[in-house]
Amino acid sequence: MADTVKITIDDIEYEVPAGMNLVDAAKLCGVDIPVFCYHPKLGYAGNCRMCLVELGTPRRNRETGEMELAWFPRLQTACTQTVVDGMSIRTRSEKVRDGRRIILELLLSSHPLDCPICDKGGECPLQNLTMEHGPETSRMYWEDKMHLGKHIPLGELIYLDQERCIHCARCIRFQRLVADDPVLGFDQRGRRQRIITSSTPPFDSIFSGNTTDICPVGALTTADFRFNARPWEMVQVATICSHTPEGSNMYFDTRPDREAGGRTTIKRVMPRQNEQVNEIWLSDKSRFVHHYMEHPDRLTRPLIRKGGKLVEATWEEALEEIARQLQAAEAEVAGIAGGRLSNEDFFAFQKLIRGQGSNNLAAYPARVAGAEFVAQVGVGVGTNFLDVGEGDAILVVASDLHEEAPIWWLRVKAAAERGATLIVLNGRETRLDKFATHRIRYAYGEEVATLNAMLGSLDDEHIQPEREVEGLEETLRHARGFEASPELAAAAKAFAGAENAILIVGGEGVGAETSHNLAQAASNLLIATGHVGRPNNGLIIVWGAANSQGAFDMGIHHRYGPGYQPVEQPGLDYAGIIAALKSNDLKALYIAGADPVFDDWLMEEALRATNAYIIVQDMFLTQTADLADVVLPTQSIAEKEGTYTSGERRVQRFYQAIEPIGESKADREIFLTLAQKLGHGEARTVAGLIFNQDIAGAVPQYAGITYQALARVEKQFPDVGGEDLYYGGTSYPNRHGLGVQWPVAAEDESAGLVVRPAEAGSRLTATDSALVVVPVTVLYDAEPVMQKTQLLRQRVPAPYAALNPADAARLGIEAGDMLEITSDGHAIRVMAVLDETAPRGAAIVPRRLQAQGAPLAAVVAPVVRLERIGA
Amino acid sequence: MAHILLRELDIPNIKDIDVYLAHEGYQGLRKAIAEHTPDEVIDIVKASGLRGRGGAGFPTGVKWGFVPKDVFPKYVAVNADESEPGTFKDRQLMENNPHQVLEGALICAYAIQAEAVYIYIRGEYWDIADWLDEAIEKARARGFIGENILGSGWSCEIYTHRGAGAYICGEETALLESLEGKRGHPRLRPPFPASVGLYGKPTVINNVETLANLPYILDKGAEAYRQFGTEGSPGTKIFCLSGHVNNPGNYELPFGGETTLRKLIFELGGGTRSGKPVKGILPAGASGAILPATDEVLDTPLDYESLRPFGSSLGSASLIILDESVNMAWAANKMIHFFSHESCGQCTPCREGTYWLRRLYERLERGEADLYDVETMKNIAAQMLGKSICALGDFATNPVLGTIQHFGEDYEAVLGGDGSGDASPDEKEAAATEAAAD
Ligand SMILES: Cc1cc2nc3c(=O)[nH]c(=O)nc-3n(C[C@H](O)[C@H](O)[C@H](O)COP(=O)(O)O)c2cc1C
Ligand code: SF4
Ligand code: SF4
Ligand code: FES
Repeated sequence: MADTVKITIDDIEYEVPAGMNLVDAAKLCGVDIPVFCYHPKLGYAGNCRMCLVELGTPRRNRETGEMELAWFPRLQTACTQTVVDGMSIRTRSEKVRDGRRIILELLLSSHPLDCPICDKGGECPLQNLTMEHGPETSRMYWEDKMHLGKHIPLGELIYLDQERCIHCARCIRFQRLVADDPVLGFDQRGRRQRIITSSTPPFDSIFSGNTTDICPVGALTTADFRFNARPWEMVQVATICSHTPEGSNMYFDTRPDREAGGRTTIKRVMPRQNEQVNEIWLSDKSRFVHHYMEHPDRLTRPLIRKGGKLVEATWEEALEEIARQLQAAEAEVAGIAGGRLSNEDFFAFQKLIRGQGSNNLAAYPARVAGAEFVAQVGVGVGTNFLDVGEGDAILVVASDLHEEAPIWWLRVKAAAERGATLIVLNGRETRLDKFATHRIRYAYGEEVATLNAMLGSLDDEHIQPEREVEGLEETLRHARGFEASPELAAAAKAFAGAENAILIVGGEGVGAETSHNLAQAASNLLIATGHVGRPNNGLIIVWGAANSQGAFDMGIHHRYGPGYQPVEQPGLDYAGIIAALKSNDLKALYIAGADPVFDDWLMEEALRATNAYIIVQDMFLTQTADLADVVLPTQSIAEKEGTYTSGERRVQRFYQAIEPIGESKADREIFLTLAQKLGHGEARTVAGLIFNQDIAGAVPQYAGITYQALARVEKQFPDVGGEDLYYGGTSYPNRHGLGVQWPVAAEDESAGLVVRPAEAGSRLTATDSALVVVPVTVLYDAEPVMQKTQLLRQRVPAPYAALNPADAARLGIEAGDMLEITSDGHAIRVMAVLDETAPRGAAIVPRRLQAQGAPLAAVVAPVVRLERIGA
Repeated sequence: MAHILLRELDIPNIKDIDVYLAHEGYQGLRKAIAEHTPDEVIDIVKASGLRGRGGAGFPTGVKWGFVPKDVFPKYVAVNADESEPGTFKDRQLMENNPHQVLEGALICAYAIQAEAVYIYIRGEYWDIADWLDEAIEKARARGFIGENILGSGWSCEIYTHRGAGAYICGEETALLESLEGKRGHPRLRPPFPASVGLYGKPTVINNVETLANLPYILDKGAEAYRQFGTEGSPGTKIFCLSGHVNNPGNYELPFGGETTLRKLIFELGGGTRSGKPVKGILPAGASGAILPATDEVLDTPLDYESLRPFGSSLGSASLIILDESVNMAWAANKMIHFFSHESCGQCTPCREGTYWLRRLYERLERGEADLYDVETMKNIAAQMLGKSICALGDFATNPVLGTIQHFGEDYEAVLGGDGSGDASPDEKEAAATEAAAD
């Protein structure tokens, strides 16, 4: 076989993949070559010298012309070698053992040996490899050790113990190679060499926590876990990130805590390896935001409005009252559910609302739409960004992926670095541009037009639907009405001609309607170019919440029931619900796990004006809850079990980690209790049963998927963080399930494919006094859960608008000025930031940095300078 | 004999370009360009047998031959970092005969078809860097540097770049990193700079003195050059003589033949200042193993190979002469301090080993060490050997192993306690374990 080579390890011959790193190849053969600085996700640095082996390589004898094995006289680093046919190594000889022993003795010579109080103790590669290969005692005099700083904050999140650092540079390399935030480096020389951060603010990276996992010693620790618990005391509970849509696999490490009165608490969050999802990485939001879950402000009892005030009540009282109201409202009810609920919750919710005879259902946030297109042409089962590379293409439109879905950003960037064609369409520069092969700027308002133009620019050779497509002629005719620049046409060609192509649609600057049309246009382009129904081909929508995909799958939609089955009588969508509240055409509104008032002044207006009975179910007394007639305390992801469905449609389980806070109940349990009270049928509240039976029965796409299937694991390579801690670090192996992707319609070859002309909006243009105000998503926003997380709150910027310096000059605005931006009669106040990457004529305003702090979609609005701070 | 390198000793003011031109200046470059293809130049340098003067003595023409022909751009880096203790020859060349250095660099650049030459010059030589800049401008004005040099169609720039005080930046790959604006951490090899060098492009790195030989070779031919020196080490070498001698300084002599340490120390150097006998010689600054001043050593003709039997090497020929007043353990302590201070910190054996050794030598100096500690020193040094990324890690073992081997009695003289320093290894180990448990 051409793609394998034969190597010999300790006199045994193996066949391994060609081109593989020798350390990896040995691992594949079951031979551990100890490493510190090498990491399969980072490549080699060759600095620790732990991986020394005796190495023989085949060489031609100049005299005889024969190939023969030439052994290097000195030990060689295995991590810097790529396997070649005929290579031979010895890993167990006396010489190699001596080499390992001295390297460990040297590494430990100035090491503080404070394992008993070190957070890494018990899962430390240095400890483990010392036990295995090191000397029993040290010849170094204790008092001769080098002493350095032990509690150096590298930022608010990460602390450095300079004494424990073994200078492997993994942290530096991760920041440079993986995160593209090269903010760590070495300072000084020799034994004084130490890690420093070079950024302002310090350690400025949304991926900083990963360095604590891959650090092979306890030199890097997180601010919230250090000196907090020992690894062996903790129980790992598998969970899923409940904040962004990538579905990152992680563990809650839990332990009963004296300070919490003996209650089991979450001590830390660790990555759970899933090579198809987040590999071994987590964003800092995934890792650190969990503190809100145990915040004292959590609601513990139901609240009922009495005499204008919300007062505590019993569950019985609250549920009786709600049941009475819903009974009276009959079909004049509506439901809004936020994307942090589980599939089981959503399913129960729509059952409750539909039991009333209503299809007035909206998923929140409502600004990103188009799930029905995902159900048709979502990425094929087996899609894995790790497999995308040379010859493939990824198109990202209307997304600042770095902020909207950090893990996808990492993986898309890595795919581009492996040679994939990356096409980025946006109104402004984002952090993906640097890695893009094609960077296209559109004018805000022309998002859909741009995708249409791409389709329209393709000649017949590139229009290659793999089967009969309904509406193709008409859609192409429509698309050809849009003009494509030569650059755009080139990008379209590259996309169409790629072996595999993934199209990622984000929510930057667009509202529900445009978002829906964008998904239509994206779906058209994918179908017309034949990039559907196969792994690594198809559509991904960057949802505004972790389980938005699940919400739609479960039928939280005014047009579709569970499994995208059209309902007979479409109900009201989100905007329709607001209108009906105002006109008092609704008698009750149930909002679960969403705080729309925080984003949307129209919702606030409607809630204040309406006579409808408002039920809010949440963890905190949010601004929306504050306007409710009844508030029900619900549980965070840590307190219940269930499933989430990621933006790549991977259904994944999470498990209960801690006891419920106060009297809070799981959302599904509340919905089903009410449904039963209302006579909508049997209430089965066990999550596993709901999933395996009710959902399986109602959602065809989920039919074959069971909790048992979701819990299945298989061996993953590289085997990071296995028992041997071979690659070091504490990225845990996955023992709780890799999840299952559900198949989209296009994967069934007999299924028909449909395209329709995508309705395009028109260009928004600035005027003398007004700018195009573009709402964008930032990872660190000021949503309620972020406010309850002290650690991350520090990183949330004050509300601002980024303006191009030329516009600022034209409008007489300076950096730091307070601006007022008025649209639809609502004024927001933000600080002016001058930013070259803001396009001319636009004001980039991050959503959710303050309550109601950005328009829902891009809009032309006057921008007025209020005052000059400090002037 | 007239000098080939230190020509200012024969021709006053040769640093002036007009004087230089009047004495065959830029003749080698002219001939190279007018009469030879780049490949022919490489062949001539190979035939001359010129070996690198930066320390390793690697054949210069062979090194150039490794540079791929079809990859552009290519670069030349001139190693003017000159940081080895006791080395001060490049300084004299650049100060007094700068055009010969520039001409040599240009010949090298022509041979590999480089488009730029970077002179990486030790930061403390800031004044020399300024003078070099002036010399570069003068040479440019005469058409030796810049566009279309001497009408050949080949263009090349020369830039100076000042180091910031790290010894390790004289190591050729650390030098490249530093030139690129990064930390001076030596690179892993392979790939070698000849194929992947500055900014990832093919690069030749040569020492100042190496390059200064080239004008002569190109002007007079490889045969003429080979009239000096030996078969294996042709040409002349600048010996930097320092330490306990009456006449320290640079001496240019042919390799081999009558060139011996005895001649250098006693004839040219005027013997020791104290009049005491010579005790030891550091032939290559801090980096080479020390030589005891035996008659055999003193009378050995010096070339790149001749010191091997004594477990040492000529290196950059920075001869530091130590008389009998010196305790060699003390000298080793100084050198270990140097290496511990200058280790870049990248790899484990060198970073940890030099620091550990330093601490042990400090014990020795305080009179707290015993025989077991000396054993430990020896063992650490021996174990460090061959395990590090660059040669500094190996260099650092030389002062330890060399002095212990040849001057063991100097260690005994400074051992603690009754001088016997005899704690058994077992007791020591127990003590160390106890300390570790505290
Ligand atoms: C630690 C260390 C320091 C060095 N310092 C210098 C130096 O200061 N000057 C120099 O020319 N070569 C120095 N070298 C040698 C260079 O790495 C390299 O071999 C030399 O520049 C090659 O030039 P040559 O072939 O002309 O000798 C040093 C090597 C090491 C390992
Ligand atoms: S802090 Fe940790 S990861 Fe970074 S260099 Fe030190 S030991 Fe390596
Ligand atoms: S041997 Fe020393 S100087 Fe060379 S790379 Fe290693 S630590 Fe740096
Ligand atoms: S040098 Fe190979 S693992 Fe560190």
